[in-house]
Amino acid sequence: MRSVGVAIAWEFCQRYRWGLLALIGYLLVMMTTDLLILEPGQAVGWDGSPNIPPRFAAAVAVPVTLLTYYFLAVFSFGLAGDVAARESQYPARLFTLPVTTAALAGWPMLYGTATLAGLWLATTRFVVWPSGVDLPLIWPALFVAASLAWTQVLMWMAYGLPGLRVVVAVFWLATLAAIVFTAIDRRVSESVMAATLAPQLPLAYLAARFAVARARRGDVPDWRGIFVRLGRLADVLPRRRADFRSAARAQAWFEWQRHGRSLPVWVGILLPFELALLFVAGNDTPSLVAYTLAGVLLTPPFMAAFVAASVRTANGSAGDAYRMAPFTATRPLTSAALIAAKLRMAMWSTLAAWLLVLVAIPAALTLSGTWPVVVERAHALRDGIGAPRVAVVGLLGLSGLIAWTWKQLVQTLYVGLSGRTWLIRTITVVTMTVLIFIEPIVQWIRESDDARVALWNALPWILAVLAFSKTSIAAWIATRLHRSRVLSDRALVTGAAGWLVAVLALYGLFAWLFSTPLIPRYVLVLVAVMAVPLARVSAAPLALAWNRHR
Amino acid sequence: MSESVIRVTELTRRFGVTTALASVSLSLPRGAVYGLVGANGAGKTTLIKHILGLLRADSGSVRVFGLDPVADPVGVLSRIGYLSEENDLPGWMRVDEIIRYSRAFYPAWDDVYAEELRQSFALDPAAKIKHLSKGQKARAGLLISLAYRPELLVLDEPSSGLDPIVRRDILGAVIRTIADEGRTVLFSSHLLDEVEEVADHVTMISRGTIVLSDRLDAIKASHGGRSLAEIFVAHAGAAAAPSPDA
Repeated sequence: MRSVGVAIAWEFCQRYRWGLLALIGYLLVMMTTDLLILEPGQAVGWDGSPNIPPRFAAAVAVPVTLLTYYFLAVFSFGLAGDVAARESQYPARLFTLPVTTAALAGWPMLYGTATLAGLWLATTRFVVWPSGVDLPLIWPALFVAASLAWTQVLMWMAYGLPGLRVVVAVFWLATLAAIVFTAIDRRVSESVMAATLAPQLPLAYLAARFAVARARRGDVPDWRGIFVRLGRLADVLPRRRADFRSAARAQAWFEWQRHGRSLPVWVGILLPFELALLFVAGNDTPSLVAYTLAGVLLTPPFMAAFVAASVRTANGSAGDAYRMAPFTATRPLTSAALIAAKLRMAMWSTLAAWLLVLVAIPAALTLSGTWPVVVERAHALRDGIGAPRVAVVGLLGLSGLIAWTWKQLVQTLYVGLSGRTWLIRTITVVTMTVLIFIEPIVQWIRESDDARVALWNALPWILAVLAFSKTSIAAWIATRLHRSRVLSDRALVTGAAGWLVAVLALYGLFAWLFSTPLIPRYVLVLVAVMAVPLARVSAAPLALAWNRHR
Repeated sequence: MSESVIRVTELTRRFGVTTALASVSLSLPRGAVYGLVGANGAGKTTLIKHILGLLRADSGSVRVFGLDPVADPVGVLSRIGYLSEENDLPGWMRVDEIIRYSRAFYPAWDDVYAEELRQSFALDPAAKIKHLSKGQKARAGLLISLAYRPELLVLDEPSSGLDPIVRRDILGAVIRTIADEGRTVLFSSHLLDEVEEVADHVTMISRGTIVLSDRLDAIKASHGGRSLAEIFVAHAGAAAAPSPDA
């Protein structure tokens, strides 16, 4: 292996071979679909063209998007370190190689841009091509290549403040998305787009070379001095100097410091952009206001799913994020107490995020003058179902969203805290597969009357099987928790009783809200059983103990 | 001296096809300093991790203070001070925060002693752990391992890669712990001269088995007064011998 380029390519292939295998597998599936399943001339497109089954479009869009984001992270070395750090994300171990800076910046950029452009071209060849849909060929390839190149620049650049890279990257990716949507909306010609995007690649290369050169000589700007006074102000706050009243509180503080702020911060970053839509002229119609508010209300649970990826890590270090750090593993606390601290942190994090939402929505509605639209809708609803039901539905909806946010944060704890890479990868692959196929299945059900009828008839059975599976798995987990003494008998009984009370309370609410003979009561019981978290949350202490005592 | 702080019986542990520990038996009575020596990969850290309950025995048993460290982590870990070779203290914490955080776990935490250690180690309370040098991180780790005067102090390669001044601090901590009557130290190291300086008992481990375990003076007497390094080479083989200055 005498060439620098070959050595760097070998490292990418070895380190990320599973991603490459996924790419190859995806292309093989698409080729097979193109050659064997689709009829000659039949296309798989992105919209509702008459000859295009939309379910296939989703099957294409989801994996392509996931693979694109994955390769963006791989080729910018975003998976290798802390993206919030000030320092460059370019691996420092490569700086000592007897290689020019141009090569260090150039080869990863070449491989990355070629991979992403190739992914797009292969997709159009095997999936959309030949198509009745007039999809451009060249500029999207240039667009993904330029996106990667600039992402590499942002990742390899050193910043003056921790977290600044994340803010810049969010703005940058939002700008890129805006460019795409504008170009599609205005039907900009391929040649204009290509002429705009092609020069981005050499420009990005020069910027990347500059960034790597600075990182190589250890040149990291430091603007933290600006915030020193603020830091000193924070030091005199009583909370920071108070002693912890118990080990459990100390551990909850530890978890809050590590992960607690992430969700409120992300929600706080996104809220102004979402609520700004209320201030756009013409956006004060009831439907647009409702869509905007729905988007805002779904932001915390949506973001919680992403934040959960860091919450479920057992170790703060990037080297092996899932293996439990000895510092944490040797805390004189039970595994259940370590999990309780995470659950408590998730609760506070959820409440902080929702506090932001609940303050921001009325403020934005008032300032944008769209309050009357909401009030009018509420009055219409009150006239339809009565004031008590409106109040209960509102409270139940809000409580449900808050509970859902918390659930999103904690329901996958058991995966990451197990510390087993094979389990984490398996569950990730299964989840991705479900995501890829769920949309085509939903589309199929929507298109087929027979399927809908069959599904409706089978719904009680499906719910019963799911509820039985959930409770059976929970019973098995409880047995393991009892045998391994991870949870005391009292904690197990209290947990089970609490879950039962929550299910009964939810069932009572459902029975009151949906008092119709169309929905049998046992269906409501099954829905309540499925809605209240049990198996996955109770598996978390078992997973942690498995990781802690290997 | 009769009560065993640590009792390991026929402990075997495999990682895939590699046998890390093969039927290891060990009994450490209270109130002495035990040096655990061996080459890289000999099984020292694996043995210590079993004592801390971070690894589960494939076969055999581990008891610390008469308790199973896997089944009762709180009962065992609350009485142990542990300084790991990895020194994985959370980098985002400040020195005063890690002190405040750690004291919540140990009812016997001694604030005066902790402050005395902080000052003698010259640790700035406002400094973040990630900004400390390797030696200062080792001192911070030592502080939070000692400040509650643990019954058992476990040091896993504490001097590895550290300068002589920090090594002196660590040895001083071992000596101070011994001064507290009835406390026990388990000290794993490559640095055989250091082990020789402070250990009462020495256990030599090679390729997952204990090749020699006895009082240091008895070992030296039975080997004609030779140095620990020479004795180790004789028992474990030259290939497995640690470098004297590693």
